[in-house]
Amino acid sequence: MTDATAETITDTPAEPASAKANRRSRGYWAGVAHDSRKLGFWFVAPAVLLLLFIVVFPLAMQLYLSLTWWTPLDGVRWYRAYESFNSGDNYARLLTDGALWAALGRTVLLMAIAVPAQFLLGLGLAYLFMEQFVGRKFFYSILLTPMMIVPAVVGLIFFLLFQGTGPVNDTLRLPTSFAWLTDVHRAMLAVIIADTWQWTPLMFLILLAGMLGVPADQLTAGRLLGASNWQNFCKIVLPRMKSVIAIALVLRSVECFKIFDVIFVMTKGGPGVETETISLFLYKKTFADLDWSYVAAIGLTILFSLSLIAARGLSYAAKRKG
Amino acid sequence: MTSIQINNVTKRFGEFVAVDDLTLDITEGEFVALLGPSGCGKTTTMNMIAGLEDPSEGSISFDGSDLSGMRLQDRNIGFVFQNYAIFTHLTVYKNLAYGLEVRRVARSEVDRKSRAMAERMGLFDRLDESAGRLSVNEMQKLAIGRSAIVEPRVFLLDEPLSNLDASFRAYMRAELKVLQREFGQTMIYVTHDQIEAMSLADKIAIIDKGRLMQYGAALEVYNDPRNRFVANFVGSPRMNLLDGDLKHEAGRLRLVLAGGAEIPLAGQAAADFGQAKSTQKGSLGIRPQHIYAGERRSADDMEMKGHVEQIERVGPTRLAYLQVQETRFLSVDEQDRLRPGDEIAFYLTAEKSLAFDMATGDRLGGRLQ
Amino acid sequence: MRTPLRALVIRYAFVILACAVVIYPLLWMITMAFKPFPEWTTGTGMTWFPKQPTLQNFEFVIFGHAQGLVVSLDRGIVGPLAASLITSICGTALAVVTGTLSSYAVARFGIMSLLPLSVLQLRLFPPLAVMIPVMVMWAFIGAVDTWWGLSLIYGIVTLPFAFWLMKTFFDEVPVEIEDAARVSGCSYWRVFYRITLPIVKPGLATCALFVFILNWSDYLLALLLTQKNWVTLPIYMSTLTSPMGGQMYGMKAALGLIAAIPPVVFGLLIQKHLVRGLTFGALKQ
Repeated sequence: MTDATAETITDTPAEPASAKANRRSRGYWAGVAHDSRKLGFWFVAPAVLLLLFIVVFPLAMQLYLSLTWWTPLDGVRWYRAYESFNSGDNYARLLTDGALWAALGRTVLLMAIAVPAQFLLGLGLAYLFMEQFVGRKFFYSILLTPMMIVPAVVGLIFFLLFQGTGPVNDTLRLPTSFAWLTDVHRAMLAVIIADTWQWTPLMFLILLAGMLGVPADQLTAGRLLGASNWQNFCKIVLPRMKSVIAIALVLRSVECFKIFDVIFVMTKGGPGVETETISLFLYKKTFADLDWSYVAAIGLTILFSLSLIAARGLSYAAKRKG
Repeated sequence: MTSIQINNVTKRFGEFVAVDDLTLDITEGEFVALLGPSGCGKTTTMNMIAGLEDPSEGSISFDGSDLSGMRLQDRNIGFVFQNYAIFTHLTVYKNLAYGLEVRRVARSEVDRKSRAMAERMGLFDRLDESAGRLSVNEMQKLAIGRSAIVEPRVFLLDEPLSNLDASFRAYMRAELKVLQREFGQTMIYVTHDQIEAMSLADKIAIIDKGRLMQYGAALEVYNDPRNRFVANFVGSPRMNLLDGDLKHEAGRLRLVLAGGAEIPLAGQAAADFGQAKSTQKGSLGIRPQHIYAGERRSADDMEMKGHVEQIERVGPTRLAYLQVQETRFLSVDEQDRLRPGDEIAFYLTAEKSLAFDMATGDRLGGRLQ
Repeated sequence: MRTPLRALVIRYAFVILACAVVIYPLLWMITMAFKPFPEWTTGTGMTWFPKQPTLQNFEFVIFGHAQGLVVSLDRGIVGPLAASLITSICGTALAVVTGTLSSYAVARFGIMSLLPLSVLQLRLFPPLAVMIPVMVMWAFIGAVDTWWGLSLIYGIVTLPFAFWLMKTFFDEVPVEIEDAARVSGCSYWRVFYRITLPIVKPGLATCALFVFILNWSDYLLALLLTQKNWVTLPIYMSTLTSPMGGQMYGMKAALGLIAAIPPVVFGLLIQKHLVRGLTFGALKQ
């Protein structure tokens, strides 16, 4: 990387006169183009502006609204929300809101089942694809398709599949009266199956990339030292993939926590609230109850907790590395 | 100790023939070098012995029993990779212990052997360090120790010295020789460096384009090359190989070189070429140390007249490039007398010259005394 | 190494099983799209393949009505398709341009070392937890239900992917090439525009396709920030109901199929770079 300050210091005396003249004649922009710091400033400016626009101001507003009773139903403009200031009642409310905690519990349950399932399936598939075989590229492409399909469409597909008259019941030789999406016990299972179908390929993709990053020589060396493929896998491949596995798990956990589209299209959170995860809960509070200030309070709490977890995770990772 | 039999092995990669009908018998306890230019099939040969590749045809046996179909992990082969393939995520200790641990050897035994091997390889102080932190030289030792600890039937080394710096390479060359004697295992060593092969191996197998050119003791290969390729490949400085047309005239045989220079063949050289009546184009091989200036030493030696083109000093020896018309002879200037530009007469020792048929590359005539 | 036949058979068995599991749901949607109304829900004698294959479903979703169907829609697919295309492309352009410029500045000039992580943070939170103020803001500036309002948010939420993906591509360009150009008198801008950008062109194309897939796949943001005027394809698909309130499985499947095709095609095109895109450059293939 070029050290910007060092660059400017050494640049000045060495600069030919013609360049100087050139710069003067073309004004500010020509000068910018010769100074990495200034040009860098213009390069990051749009991104930083967007970030400020979407982070700083909204965050302040969210904090502000979360301390009031404001809702768009009132007909009061948002900046006059202070009129209904409630000194943190929303936060007190969320602590005792059973529905919220139930939704959170369902989200955690979904994550606790779906992410490990996807991980194990992905790991197994990646293991199968470690070695070259005829048709490998073809099968690989097929296995990747689910994650490229629009999540809402995935929701639709599984909505169709799990109809009483749909193919799942037919394949499993179940009667058409056997309900999935409207059954309190099986609706969540259907959602987990859909999420697993869509995102196991991502696990597979990441874990395979990690596995292929293990030098082939080391595996051969292991074999020649008398290790079976399985022993090599446990003693060389897995330990070497620690960080890749961590990346895959974190990535999927984050996305799984956010899950919305598939459930919304498949069950709308139903039956009842059986598949209502945190995102669906917030959606309902936003649009059905128009309880915006409460949603803002919940949102901020989630934001704060996740940031805390992320910071802990990052410092842990940094410590492990260093 | 294990003997290795390679019987008529051919290996094809699609159209390309990497190894062509190779037969090689390696006696137990021998140190054998597979020598050849890069891409000659020597590494493929070794991979087949290790079981990393299967022969397209032919078979490989240890102690007379065929290996085909045997799983890699059951062959019990020590293999040192060119880049060592150290398990960099494990400690030095765990690297050494790997082969024993996967065999479910008792922990106390693993510990005892690993420590002993670390001691032997000079890695004892570093047992608990991550193997990724070792220097290249230490990795090399670790790689050898890791393979040796499981007491393999044969030891295979793939260009093991090519990544080392020059001084350590010389040390390791000597060390390898010692280790081989200590371990007493059959060792096969792949290299493109003929000096390495000559100084280390009991026997050298020279391979070119997948074919075995010659298999024999180092000196035998050097003194008595079976064909033009071996003559050209082995020895430093290189052997002079003088290609030309054979002319019979009044009972005398001459070799007319491309640039117009002529060699009046005499003695052993004349006899060797004379034997093969069908040979039209021949090649005379003579090592630089067998070309001399000054007094004629034997009546048979072949006299040439030319001038000294250039003098080059390689360590203690002076090499003289002698120009005769368009042909250049390389000679070792023993007496340290020649100066560039000198017009001189010099002699090719007939006793030491070798005759080759240009068409087949084969050696003509008999063994050298 | 010869792989034993038994291992080979087991491997193929598992791989083919996995592929079957992948194809099973897709096949149902695809065949459903070609099934006429009577075959959508058959209590008994369900068939995988349409007995009387028809393009009726496609005809209906494209034109809003179809021959032989009494029901019709007030709008066909053309509007939503155009809406999805326009917002995805504009959002992609915004993300790629800002992401490329800023990642270059970070990768080369070493400024704003906090930017990479703060950008990443955008992907951490569930959108619904942070959307209240955005919805208020969007309403305030009149961006709700407009093409630019949706494009703007698309550009922002996919910026992290563009930023990190482009950063990995810039990191792969040897600095020496740029230094050489700088020594011969090129300004920083000229080096970027004339030297580096052409080198990372394939990466730029990959990045654009990747971000386009993400934008095209969005459902939630469109649900929150649009209403009647600006309807994207996924929203249109999920809200499609016949005026009589019946389910329109065949039409929905046809729509799903149409919506699914571009990302799958683009995804296969950039297969090689999917890993680094999805892991924010932490991993390469």
